[in-house]
Amino acid sequence: MTAVQIIRVLPKDVVLPLHSGDSILAAIVRGGLKYLYGCRRGGCGVCKADLISGQVSYPVAVSDTVLTPEERADRVVLTCRAVPATDCTVQLRSQCRLTSPFLYDIAQRELVGSQDLKGAD
Amino acid sequence: MPVMRLGYVHVRVTDLDAAMNHYSNTLGMKVMHQEGGKVYLKSWDEQDHHSVVIEEGGVGLVKLGYKVTSSDDLAAFEKRIQQFGASTERMSSGENLKTGDGLRVVLPSEHVIELFTDMEYVGTETGTLNPDPWPRDSRGAAVHRLDHALVAADDPALVERFFSECLDFRPAERLVTDPSNPELIGTWMFCGQTPHDIAVIKGPNGKLHHFAYWLDDWNEILKAGDVFSMDDVSIDVGPTRHGITRGKTIYFFDPSGNRNEVFTGGYQTGPDFSTITWTADQVGKGIFYITRELNEAFTTVFT
Repeated sequence: MTAVQIIRVLPKDVVLPLHSGDSILAAIVRGGLKYLYGCRRGGCGVCKADLISGQVSYPVAVSDTVLTPEERADRVVLTCRAVPATDCTVQLRSQCRLTSPFLYDIAQRELVGSQDLKGAD
Repeated sequence: MPVMRLGYVHVRVTDLDAAMNHYSNTLGMKVMHQEGGKVYLKSWDEQDHHSVVIEEGGVGLVKLGYKVTSSDDLAAFEKRIQQFGASTERMSSGENLKTGDGLRVVLPSEHVIELFTDMEYVGTETGTLNPDPWPRDSRGAAVHRLDHALVAADDPALVERFFSECLDFRPAERLVTDPSNPELIGTWMFCGQTPHDIAVIKGPNGKLHHFAYWLDDWNEILKAGDVFSMDDVSIDVGPTRHGITRGKTIYFFDPSGNRNEVFTGGYQTGPDFSTITWTADQVGKGIFYITRELNEAFTTVFT
């Protein structure tokens, strides 16, 4: 399946493909990277990040006690439950490490592949 | 007589349907009653009407319920708790579904615990007449019963003192900073013969670290892990073993992010048990005996 959307992850400044329905966390992990996250189910708040550009939605509801209305208005996102609706740039609040060059490679090839298709007219 | 056991855990969940699916289908609890945004669940080897209550809205702990033997015991505990200085109120029969009257206490750590004497008797799914060892139609991880809870407190020593002075709990294991000048980081306390019925670790007041269910052996732990994978359960750590309690374990999260545990093993405690001490420099081994490393989620995820 060709990715049509991308996510830019700061401050590491890498670009990864976004698969339909993936949360920000899922996209980052799929790309072979790791950062500080907790329950991965929207209850602990550990994986918060800041959305620099783009739009997200929460198909699975997140409690206001975990991500407050003020935070949402400030474009703070809960990365484990936030699903990008568009291309996104997200600024992580914790260190982001490349833990799987194998997965990262696959992700980058996917990006190149989708660019080739876009260019093929 | 001593406090009997952890009788119930009442937690908040963001999505009631997803939580019901987790506790009922994945863990194998039986839905006993549904009403007013709350679902009441029971494990197959428990006798009382329910042991877990999930309530729609938010995440985290509402309260813990500990069963005591009699009204006389309850009155005696009440006196001691009031002497300790914790705030108490009497709860009447029926305030909690199928539960008799009791005492509600706010701990120094802001957690609410309830002491109760009576809950409607339903019986185990195997029964008391020529029983099978387990129920033929058990589902998922088929958790046997509620075992213990671990909560966070800004001052674990004060909460330890509460459970000790008011309710005769004793510490099986304690985690301290430096034995020569020990600050208490964690305490695992029992009221019966198991390694712990309540545990407290340093962390934000009022928060829940996890509550745990009993399984019989390492095979059941592995099977639970397989079920968790089939059901896309978020895993924290495991299967592995704790240094503290010797227990074999998997930590995982419900769909709202509340941490659960399946647990087995340990040792026998009782009134004359000699407390075990762990020092902070060995905390990795204490929590996760085999890898001897703490993972970040274990110390940062509370709900």
